[in-house]
Amino acid sequence: MTNTFVLIKHCIYLFVSAFLPGGCASAPDRAIHKSYTIEIKEMKFEPAELIVQKGDTVVWINRDIVAHDATEEPTKAWTSGVIPSGQSWSLVVTKSADYYCSIHMVMKGKLLAE
Amino acid sequence: MKSHNPFRALTTGAIAYSLLFSIPVFAQKSPNLSDAEIASVAVVANQIDVSYAEIAKKQSTNEDVLKFAETMISDHSAVINQAVALVKKLGVTPKDNAVSQKLLKDAEKTKKTLHSTSGKAFNKAYVDNEVTYHKAVIATVEGVLIPESDNKELKDLLQGVVPVLKTHLEHARMLQSKLSNK
Repeated sequence: MTNTFVLIKHCIYLFVSAFLPGGCASAPDRAIHKSYTIEIKEMKFEPAELIVQKGDTVVWINRDIVAHDATEEPTKAWTSGVIPSGQSWSLVVTKSADYYCSIHMVMKGKLLAE
Repeated sequence: MKSHNPFRALTTGAIAYSLLFSIPVFAQKSPNLSDAEIASVAVVANQIDVSYAEIAKKQSTNEDVLKFAETMISDHSAVINQAVALVKKLGVTPKDNAVSQKLLKDAEKTKKTLHSTSGKAFNKAYVDNEVTYHKAVIATVEGVLIPESDNKELKDLLQGVVPVLKTHLEHARMLQSKLSNK
């Protein structure tokens, strides 16, 4: 009876261990990156200001009937190129940036990377 | 089906004129336009701004003006395509009317003025006209076309166009200020 109990205990231990990669003592040192969406609608970036962690992904979706883009300013360090109506573009954020739509220069947005 | 008579056509023309050239007059009675007539006004108004931009592309060498003109062609063409697709879907044929005729008549005068200028004078004339024209079109869309639309999809399209027009106006004003400082 005791042996059967020990055997079951070991089986449970092996089963649980198989689903814990790296074991309990060494948890994986991986940051979990998130994905955020900015909607371009009614000629605005929504939200206009977004706080993210470095390495997070931001997706711009164009809900307007006209084409837009998202371009870093003032140096144009990155740009989406034209995002046609209904299309999207994504960027992995590595640092904070101001950006605008170079097609409609009055449309502006801000990414704050922490 | 809305009736059409000469008196209404005259009233339509008169009120549209006052909407286009002395903007805050919404207290007056709006012209009574059918959806087919509204579709015509919407398409004509966009086509006119595309035609102004095409003149700018030929006559200007200013980078900002050229970029603005490209945006006008791209955006207003997109709106025209949406309007054409919608009238096709609804089985409506855009109907010529006093408002679209007045828009076209005034556009001919403006185009003559634009063709007669060049260089900095052209840039100023084009951008000043873009400010005036967008103000007038916004007033007409908000004050006449949207309230007069019966079909929800047509109304939604017109409401969706207003932010585009307002952004163009803001952009044109920014350009106007930049040109005046040069």
